[in-house]
Amino acid sequence: MLDTVLLFREALYGALVIAVACSVLGVYVVLRRIVFVGAAIAQLSSAGIALALFLGGMGVTSGLTGHPTAFALAFGLAGAMFFGLGGGSRAGVPPDATIGVTYAAAAAAGVLLIAKAKSGEAHDIFLQGNILGITRADTLVLLAVSIPVLLVHILFYKEFLFVSFDREMARTMGYRVTFWNLFLYFTLGLVIAFAMQFAGVILVFNFLVLPAVTGLLLARSMAGIFTVAVGSALLAACVGFSLSVPFDLPSGPAIIACSAALALLAWPARLLQRRG
Amino acid sequence: MSALITFDHATLGYGRRVVLSDISFDIPSGDFLGLVGPNGAGKTTILRAILGSLAPLAGTVAKAPALRFGYVPQRDSVDYNFPLKVLDVVMMGRYDRIGLMHRPTREDRDRACAALEHVGIVNLAENPLGALSGGQKQRALIARALVGEPNVLVLDEPTNGMDLVSTTQILGLVRELHERDNLTVLMVSHALNEVANYVERIALVVERGFRIGTVAQIMTEETLTQMYGIPVEVDEMEGHRIVVARRQGNGIGVHRHA
Repeated sequence: MLDTVLLFREALYGALVIAVACSVLGVYVVLRRIVFVGAAIAQLSSAGIALALFLGGMGVTSGLTGHPTAFALAFGLAGAMFFGLGGGSRAGVPPDATIGVTYAAAAAAGVLLIAKAKSGEAHDIFLQGNILGITRADTLVLLAVSIPVLLVHILFYKEFLFVSFDREMARTMGYRVTFWNLFLYFTLGLVIAFAMQFAGVILVFNFLVLPAVTGLLLARSMAGIFTVAVGSALLAACVGFSLSVPFDLPSGPAIIACSAALALLAWPARLLQRRG
Repeated sequence: MSALITFDHATLGYGRRVVLSDISFDIPSGDFLGLVGPNGAGKTTILRAILGSLAPLAGTVAKAPALRFGYVPQRDSVDYNFPLKVLDVVMMGRYDRIGLMHRPTREDRDRACAALEHVGIVNLAENPLGALSGGQKQRALIARALVGEPNVLVLDEPTNGMDLVSTTQILGLVRELHERDNLTVLMVSHALNEVANYVERIALVVERGFRIGTVAQIMTEETLTQMYGIPVEVDEMEGHRIVVARRQGNGIGVHRHA
């Protein structure tokens, strides 16, 4: 079994990088109660790729259309900035409704564009991803994106935490709350746009939510939540991936199932902690 | 006493919507001012102008140089879902002094402990903020405001949703901080009865206008009846003023003004 897994070790390394980056950002996503923002941004990124493929199929090959990643990034970051600025709340639309509209519209646009793209792949690729297809070059790209983002989060932890926890107080103390908020969403958009291309919308969404929920259930401090979130994401990625290869299961859902199992195990552990 | 904050014919509002027009008053050093009025009358608008997050549409709002505010937001504006210890939350009051890319030092920790001791909950420093009672949470937020060594302590509805005991304790603590440390205090509240017996001056903000004066000047039947637009009685019981609004319509009795 190990030999079979080792055949796909490059893909596993890529999955681990995605797991770490997404689970760290996921702590903010869960604590700020914006879990579906992650799904909407991922879906926007996939719509960007679909548009690039559609334009490529139409023969529009000049400029950026030959670079789906650029489209994914542009769409993902545009979505992140939009949600970072309030996501239409100023127009009176509830934030969760805006997220829902964005998700549905982006998903539909992606399917329609792919359906008419001559060189398009199946839309399932965007939803489920293709973890096994990750190469060493892909992993290096993921590292090149994830390491600076994680460094930013280490350096500006205090600021991200403050504007997330109590933005009124932060504003009163002279913090540029809108800037820090946008900066946080920018890092989120960046990681999602790249991770989605390899892991798919559902797996990225999983890494943004379930490990952080496990952390929230088991840990009693911010450091503890980050540690448990990253640890459980890595564990789920390793176990899920290792089981999926020899048993011929789709890797993404196998990893998600492991994440869900860890979160479910954390639940009674939390109850026991409370009783103790 | 020198004025720390001066409103000079200030008109406040959002975009084209004017909330309060042509108001002039100042907050001198050592003042204990209650900014009182019903919800939606403009208290928060004045508060934002004072804190600098809202520029006046006309007139000026001047502040003394290097003025530092210690802000205590409404308890509900804080997200207790974050697993933060009381001490960590209090240290946030020093984040602007700590600076970008730096972590709190031993000194910041010591000052945070001192602030917690000041408000009487240093024994809860290592507890999760979310596990505290309403009164304890408010004390922690007051400690966070104090640890930044402010010139003015600003409290936004500090007793909202609290029971009688917690309300009395928190207002007593704020009064004590004002007297013991000669701290300038601005307290925003919709509860006139609560605030009137603790503050020294009242700024009354109602839809019909704005009036500021000492408690004795504002807490008169004539002033309150005129400002609220309904018949109001002011009773005194063992040195405490109680505002009672006459029930309108059937004349059966009275109910207390909230």
